[in-house]
Amino acid sequence: MRNFILIVFFISACSLAQENNFNTKGDLEFGLRTSSSLFGRDGIAGLGTGGQFRVQILDKINTEWFADYISLDLNGAGVRNNAHIGWSVLFYPKKFGSLIPYVAAGHCFDYAKVIPNSTSFVDRSDDIITRWSSAVQAGIGSHYYFTPRFNLSFSAQYMMHLGQHLDYDLDELSQGYYLETHDHSGSGEAALEGHLLLTFSLNYKLADLW
Amino acid sequence: MVRIFTALFIVLSINSLAQDERGKITSALSFAPGFLTDKTYTIQVQGYVGYLKNRIEVRADGFYFLGSYGDRPRFSMNHQLFAGANYHFTETAFQPYVGFQPGIAFSQSSEYGTLNDTTGETEFVPSVNPIGSAVAGFSYYGEKLFFVFVEGRYIFGKHKSNTYPTFLDEARLSFGLGFFF
Repeated sequence: MRNFILIVFFISACSLAQENNFNTKGDLEFGLRTSSSLFGRDGIAGLGTGGQFRVQILDKINTEWFADYISLDLNGAGVRNNAHIGWSVLFYPKKFGSLIPYVAAGHCFDYAKVIPNSTSFVDRSDDIITRWSSAVQAGIGSHYYFTPRFNLSFSAQYMMHLGQHLDYDLDELSQGYYLETHDHSGSGEAALEGHLLLTFSLNYKLADLW
Repeated sequence: MVRIFTALFIVLSINSLAQDERGKITSALSFAPGFLTDKTYTIQVQGYVGYLKNRIEVRADGFYFLGSYGDRPRFSMNHQLFAGANYHFTETAFQPYVGFQPGIAFSQSSEYGTLNDTTGETEFVPSVNPIGSAVAGFSYYGEKLFFVFVEGRYIFGKHKSNTYPTFLDEARLSFGLGFFF
């Protein structure tokens, strides 16, 4: 029995030690992503969609250039839309065959728009507020290669926005929620805001560039 | 500079793709009925283009909304675009598959309008909303050119504009004839 375990362990170690053909320098991938934003300032989950390119510069270092659009329903009182465009560096500490975990860190630009809901009696289009901000993000993730060209990736990153304060309050009333907005454009009042970004993506290798 | 880069990119892509066995380019058109809650049904025209190789099909789908019927039609417009991938379980003529496609919906409510203070009119503001869909189906390939497919998908998301949100959740069925090259 002990010999059998040793043989299995030895074969597993050999197979892990083989050169990884799934993910090498020069790979250019294109992918589409579904994102979920959690634990933001309103505690409301948002659903988003987008895409990315990956350009792998070294066997252990990849770069990801992404854009996504996330929309949150503010408890029926309004909508918050976020658009991100940015990049991350992916570092692969160890590759396990077709399963390749990574650590990621990067930077992005963000556009946020908060729209209080109007009704057929009240027009609140003057209460819409917007903001451009810059953000940094870091987290972990993993690719799983179904074939040498096709992978599924999942990542969890915490994104911190530094920019002008987007000032709104979601007040709970007896009949539901009311969204109160305050326009501070031009005031220069800065604020720090963060959220967890979970991303599920499907990626296809287009070319081996070098 | 842009032209040189584009030409280089295409040559490199073709060169690297040419190293493997060729895949199939697939395309199809279909009518797609949808099923919502409150005894409500929708009808769409669907078109897609895909690339199938080594059991993986990368695919882009478009749905053009024709209308909805029943107790609560809720949308006057709900066109959708998806892009994602399917995994085919076999490489024979009969190929069952499952997949996932994120996408966007161009939707407009027919239930909840808002007052426009400037015009004094009630308006229904259209919006772009992120959605996702899980897909399962099968296709049957002929020896040349043609295939038939049947698939079901569950679409999830929420229409959010400038008034009350409405779920875009829908079960949708598609069947039709396609071409492959």
